[in-house]
Amino acid sequence: MTRPKLAIAGLTACSGCQLTLLNCEDQLVDVARLFDLVYFPMGESGSDPDAVFDAAIVEGAVSTPADVELLFGLRNASHLLVAFGTCALWGGVAAMNNKVSGRDELVRQVYGDSGRIESFPPSPMGNFVSIDFAITGCPPEKHDLLALLAAVLAGTLPPLQSYPVCTECRSRENLCLLLEKGELCLGPIIQGGCNARCPATGIVCEGCRGPVREANVAQELELLLERGFDRKEIERRMSRFTPEWDYGKRR
Amino acid sequence: MDKKYLKNGQFSEFIETLRLFGDLHGPTMSDTGVFAFSPVSDPSQLRLDYQRTQIPPKKYLLPFREEILSYREGNYRQSHHHTPEIILFGVHPCDLDGIAYLDRVFLGDSPDPCYAGRRARLTLVGLSCVPDDFCFCSGLAEPPTCDLFLTLQGDGFKVDALSARGKEIAQAAKDLLSLEATGATVPLQRTGITAQDPQLRFSDNPLWDKFATTCVSCGACSVCCPTCYCFDVREYPSLDGGGIRLREWDNCLFVTHGEVAGANFRGSRLERLRYRFLHKYCGFTPLQGMTSCVGCGRCKEVCPVDIDLRELTVNPDQGTESP
Ligand code: SF4
Ligand code: SF4
Ligand code: SF4
Repeated sequence: MTRPKLAIAGLTACSGCQLTLLNCEDQLVDVARLFDLVYFPMGESGSDPDAVFDAAIVEGAVSTPADVELLFGLRNASHLLVAFGTCALWGGVAAMNNKVSGRDELVRQVYGDSGRIESFPPSPMGNFVSIDFAITGCPPEKHDLLALLAAVLAGTLPPLQSYPVCTECRSRENLCLLLEKGELCLGPIIQGGCNARCPATGIVCEGCRGPVREANVAQELELLLERGFDRKEIERRMSRFTPEWDYGKRR
Repeated sequence: MDKKYLKNGQFSEFIETLRLFGDLHGPTMSDTGVFAFSPVSDPSQLRLDYQRTQIPPKKYLLPFREEILSYREGNYRQSHHHTPEIILFGVHPCDLDGIAYLDRVFLGDSPDPCYAGRRARLTLVGLSCVPDDFCFCSGLAEPPTCDLFLTLQGDGFKVDALSARGKEIAQAAKDLLSLEATGATVPLQRTGITAQDPQLRFSDNPLWDKFATTCVSCGACSVCCPTCYCFDVREYPSLDGGGIRLREWDNCLFVTHGEVAGANFRGSRLERLRYRFLHKYCGFTPLQGMTSCVGCGRCKEVCPVDIDLRELTVNPDQGTESP
């Protein structure tokens, strides 16, 4: 059997998603045996620019001309392109202030007056190229990545799950922080699959996995306003991981 | 006459006797203050004053997520789960009805092996209750669908053994039981909900649109419903070349539930609500004409936008229940 050729790459991001692969300690040996890791700069395997891939698994938002170039290169060279993690899929934390601050000002603050860095507001890679599959999460769940790798090996893609955090949260018999404690929980509109990790420890869902497909955004907004939260605060919390929301969306 | 009264003083010892028959589970309160059926190591953990648990006892028969098949080299194998004998203590009449309904679904024409395996090892000890504002059950089934039923009565309980298993337990506990009644049973007012006309789901009640607009599709109502049993089935290959098929609770209010390649049977949330209404209050084949709602009140309690589907059975003009 030929080993599928993989590219694991990062655009503007913290590398935490790529680290998810390295954190799969129990499966790393199998992954290295079953796949040809042709391009994985962070893991220090090759970076042959002329290679072609069966799958390119790419983290990060698009925020620099170099990001665009790398992304286009991988799209052209790979059969499958996988948006890996919340930044790749939704923009993520780097994009949380896209609406409030000017890019030039931010660049000056970070790199100083002499800093010459070409950068534009971070945005999801789907705004630039077509995507074949996405794994959400900040960081993504190991089991979602392993499911993708196993599926690629079997010549398919993993099945999709599409329910909000509340579904897993209630099934785990957690106390509902929204209803019982009046806290600003985003669980109803956020994609589940994290096993409601935060609410299970008494912390509200911050929305790190991005919107669930059927998010009734307008109603979540309304129910939070009814519970006395300020619209600005709600929007600030909602845009922490996903800058673009359609606040009128109901279905 | 049977000795069938249990005084409060004998209660702890009675609970210890139950333990001889399997792992004891019952209503407890979690660290965060949620009522839940869970393992009981000491009788003092039992919360006989509980109203309803967040998750009904269906979790003992149909877990949220379970592997049902595994495959390797083209061969499928049914997954076998080792289930211990469980004595589930303190189940209220609505939840007993819920299990009786699930039994009809999963043990009917072609029994579900995963469910059947767990059901055969589950002993149910029912407990009478005092309804609150959310409750609307139809009262205790006659005879109650459990092995043993305890009715709160004065300073103790009346104990009814209803199955061979129940009689075995009563026999083992006979020294703890007495002939003398512990007090009078308080008769309870039960409202219930009767099976509705399936056409009602197309009524022009404005609530339909209101509910379809406000439902956030969080799934809480169905996760917490004792008779919601719909599941999703997904198959995952694994790195070793094999794979598993799992099933997980699903919700008819989710857009994906009626989705098939290229289409959706119930594309709008309104259609999905109508479908949920149909299943809960009208029943469908082969349980047509039977309400699957047992009146436990959970869905209303957990809904973040206060949706109560029962309001749809009331004619908005007359404020009375439709025939
Ligand atoms: S705590 Fe948050 S995630 Fe959990 S059920 Fe409540 S709203 Fe949903
Ligand atoms: S529909 Fe609601 S009240 Fe009826 S059994 Fe289900 S959760 Fe309980
Ligand atoms: S609990 Fe309420 S908001 Fe959530 S899915 Fe059910 S009806 Fe909709």
